[in-house]
Amino acid sequence: MADWGRTTLELLVQELQAPVRLDESFDRRVMVRVRRLYAERRPRGVAGWIAAAVNVTRRPAYAAALAAGVVAIATVGMLRSRPTSVAISGPIPVQFVLVAPEARSVAVVGDFNNWGLGDTALVAENHNGVWSVSAPVPAGVHRYAFLVNGEKWVADPTAPRAAGDDFGQPSSALVVEATAE
Amino acid sequence: MRSRSARGFLIVALLGAAFGSVQAQDPRIGNRLDAPTRKALSALVDSAKAQGIPVEPLIEKVYQGLAMGADGPRIVTAVRSLTIEMANAQRELGTVATADELKAAASAVHAGVPPVELGKMKKQSGLRRSLTLPFTVLADIVSRGVPVGAAANAIRSLVGAGARDRDISEFQRNVQVDIEKGAQPQAAVETRAKGAVTTTPAARPEKREQE
Repeated sequence: MADWGRTTLELLVQELQAPVRLDESFDRRVMVRVRRLYAERRPRGVAGWIAAAVNVTRRPAYAAALAAGVVAIATVGMLRSRPTSVAISGPIPVQFVLVAPEARSVAVVGDFNNWGLGDTALVAENHNGVWSVSAPVPAGVHRYAFLVNGEKWVADPTAPRAAGDDFGQPSSALVVEATAE
Repeated sequence: MRSRSARGFLIVALLGAAFGSVQAQDPRIGNRLDAPTRKALSALVDSAKAQGIPVEPLIEKVYQGLAMGADGPRIVTAVRSLTIEMANAQRELGTVATADELKAAASAVHAGVPPVELGKMKKQSGLRRSLTLPFTVLADIVSRGVPVGAAANAIRSLVGAGARDRDISEFQRNVQVDIEKGAQPQAAVETRAKGAVTTTPAARPEKREQE
């Protein structure tokens, strides 16, 4: 019984697996018929275009792909519209230099070190009257100034002025560009 | 971005410590601010937050005032001015402006540039171009005596011609040197702007075509 069943099953499988021989013109005839049917049903001109668009939205797969595309384009657009959000804004080394041959000490204070409050001032080194210090500064725009001898405020003569000496002392502006990665 | 977020968090924490009713104070501020000053600053910060204005520049202004030995009322006046200037700038630049752009724009407004001029530049330059440096240079050249109209025209022409930040920095240095050598500020700006525009990337292809 088992043998009969297996043999019969094998025969059926063999029969089903055997390639069906069709007339050589079969494929061509089918495709001609399909194209004709499609052409008859599809409205022409603007109506056809609209119908095609509606058709897309009626198919879940196309609609999902369309929605994903819109979201992707919108996301890329939003990211591109904010340059700082796609740039790496880690601290970037900046050298501050002041020529002050008569100075006894020079420090750099600004937005990037809370204006030296809490002993955060950058102390410059003296190289025969050329005072300099390098420090990592976060990307962005900063106000800063040199503090000479711990009492005299001096703007950086090589940098743009920070507009408005609100406190009666000069200061400079520094723009540190974020490095894109 | 992470460091920026951390910094923002720190600023908010410091604001609470410095201006709030909490007794714990920022050691950098200590007892240097009296109670009325703290109250006034706290109100300004709350107002800025409510308007969506970044508060970091405000606290930096407080630090600057303290470092420069300013008294409480003067610090409050400076912070109030900055809040108003940033609000005016934000109104013209829109919400697409970054915190740095707003800070630089506030400097330009402080120097005397009408906020509407800054808005025009932002519209002209598009969303992707950061105007932090152009606004900073605009504030600088106005503070050096260049009439606002001439300064705004120069920066607008540079930005419109596709000048990069390094081109605009070079323009600023040249104008500064010219003025320090005795040039009339407006003449220096107009002359240097004309030269800088011809060397921008946008101008180069035209030059090649003419050749």
